[in-house]
Amino acid sequence: MTSVMHEDGPRGAAGMKRNGNASMRRLIAEGAKGPIGLVAALVVLIVVFSFLNPRFASIENLQNVLFQVSVPLILVVGATLVIQMGSIDLSVEGIMGAAGMAWILLSPNTRTMIDLGMWAWLIALGLGLSLGLMTGVIYAKLKVPSFVVSLGTWYVGLGIAILLYGNNSLPSLTSDALARWPTGLTLGLPHSFWLAAGVLLFGLLISNYTNLGRGLMAIGNNEPIARTSGMPVNVYKIGAFAIAGLLGGLAGILATMQLGSGSTDIGFGQLFVGIPAAVIGGTALGGGEGGMTRSALGVFLLIILNNGLVLAGVDPDYQSGVFGLILLIAIIAVAWPERGRLKVAK
Amino acid sequence: MTHRADTPATVEALDRPDKVAATLARLRRMASWHIIAPPLVFFAILLVVGIANPAYLGPFGISIATTSAAPILLVALGQSMVLNTGSIDLSNAAIGLFGAILFALTIPEAGILAMIAVLVALTLIGAVNGVILAYTQVPSFALTLGTLGILQTAALVTSGSETIYVSENRDLVTALHTIKTLSVPLTFWIGVLAAIFFWALLRFTIVGQNMTAVGKNESGAILSAVPNRRAKIIAFAISGFASGLAGLAIVAQAGSASASGLGSNLLLPGIAAALVGGTSISGGQANPINVVFGALTVAFVPIAAQALGFGAQAQSLVYGVFIIVIVALTTSRSRGSVIK
Repeated sequence: MTSVMHEDGPRGAAGMKRNGNASMRRLIAEGAKGPIGLVAALVVLIVVFSFLNPRFASIENLQNVLFQVSVPLILVVGATLVIQMGSIDLSVEGIMGAAGMAWILLSPNTRTMIDLGMWAWLIALGLGLSLGLMTGVIYAKLKVPSFVVSLGTWYVGLGIAILLYGNNSLPSLTSDALARWPTGLTLGLPHSFWLAAGVLLFGLLISNYTNLGRGLMAIGNNEPIARTSGMPVNVYKIGAFAIAGLLGGLAGILATMQLGSGSTDIGFGQLFVGIPAAVIGGTALGGGEGGMTRSALGVFLLIILNNGLVLAGVDPDYQSGVFGLILLIAIIAVAWPERGRLKVAK
Repeated sequence: MTHRADTPATVEALDRPDKVAATLARLRRMASWHIIAPPLVFFAILLVVGIANPAYLGPFGISIATTSAAPILLVALGQSMVLNTGSIDLSNAAIGLFGAILFALTIPEAGILAMIAVLVALTLIGAVNGVILAYTQVPSFALTLGTLGILQTAALVTSGSETIYVSENRDLVTALHTIKTLSVPLTFWIGVLAAIFFWALLRFTIVGQNMTAVGKNESGAILSAVPNRRAKIIAFAISGFASGLAGLAIVAQAGSASASGLGSNLLLPGIAAALVGGTSISGGQANPINVVFGALTVAFVPIAAQALGFGAQAQSLVYGVFIIVIVALTTSRSRGSVIK
């Protein structure tokens, strides 16, 4: 969507020759728009909210925050991979619906008498994976913009969920062990969060230490060059969407487990947490920038903001407005130092 | 890919007079696939539905399709103008809904004057989007996502989370919906008029050509002294204005407005309609007249699914597959090799 004229090409080369002081300054400048700025913002939020309502800093509430963070955290890993290569994946809400519904109907529930155990997980995750694969193949092979394909996949996933749901009664989890799992604690942290943290680690490894992860970054930076350098660009593209689909499926299962019953709208609103979180974290929508850690911090920022506003007694009507305002301030603050007459921003 | 026929035709044109060649070239350009595809797709769906269920081809079907297409069309027209400059406006449907609430609140007291004032205000909101985009150079996707949130809150707060009924002067707005020419409500005709106007703007005016230039190659446009900031601001202002008309269409149809009522789900259909209408998502290509067919197609797909016997539950699935297939058929792949 974006092609940015990089001004820091020559500057970067010059920086190599210059010594200590200049590169230190550059490091601080880059840190300010990345993790350091984000961490500072997080600390400020936490301090302010703790003053507004002492309950905010209680152990229960922090556990609650970690519980709420888990689903968007899983999603943002997939979203970051896709955005890093300059594409976008709008399909998460649909994939979550389809996978969540498939999982609960195959697990012990009030409606079907089926319990496939582990197979329920595999089938639901497979559904997410195949929806992601479908998006990736249509995008990479048929050259349809990812925005549109994933918009279509959103509806397709939602349609599958609606068909699975049918006209019957609401399926609720009957297995206590499964229903309690997400809130259960290990080492003081909820299981949901452990799962999400595992996914984040997986995302970090892929993004930093595999050909796929580095390749996606290269595609986002300059696709023609990546292609002419002999990178299997289409394979990487399909891979990114497949992972995003798989993680969408996992998020759908987790969200269904957290809710305790199946819903076609299980993913409602998740898209507008995941993408802003990645963007606030500094993952440029044009691709080639950003990282898993920053996106994860972005998720924490948004969820803590949401949680803190509720505890501070802010009318829920104002929440989307405050969200929007913070998003605006964050992106403008990041983009401000890089303005230039010749810069192209879309 | 769209100009696949070029090579043999150029050879042929060599031994003919220049004029004939020029005319042929123009004809070929007019007939290029992404120009004729949107109406073709619409009429193909219409034909299939007509064979399955002839009732949908009569005044009844036309009235249903155009009524539900009207707000989608108006939102999509603004969106296609913004997409044409290479940006995207995620806040336009929210502007429309906020507008609908403002219309419902003010029309009982001030009538026509209120309509004009609200339209001006909404155009300004769109322009503010454009100004922020042009001067802070943030990505439009994230920027308009932010304004979307703010406008949602504005809609909730101004309406007090309730449905606002147009008590007085009700006929003034509902007339836009009830007056029908050829079974098509006035709201849709407004959309058609706007489409023709925007098409002329893009085709014949410097302002319009500047917008397309910015969308095609912004660096090139800046270096050629095209006022790129002004072009973006105008495109977003147009989007705000068109969304305002969509808000008017919503109030006309429902006689009321609320933050979660009719028209609260226009964003994605609007984008889909613009894309099905042959607008390129990477900018530099838009044909507002084709967006009319895009909006008709998008509004018609659920109706077609029903007419073809798909159950209500399969609607979403059919809709998703349709969007992918239609855009795969109509998308223009001629602009560079990079598709994002």
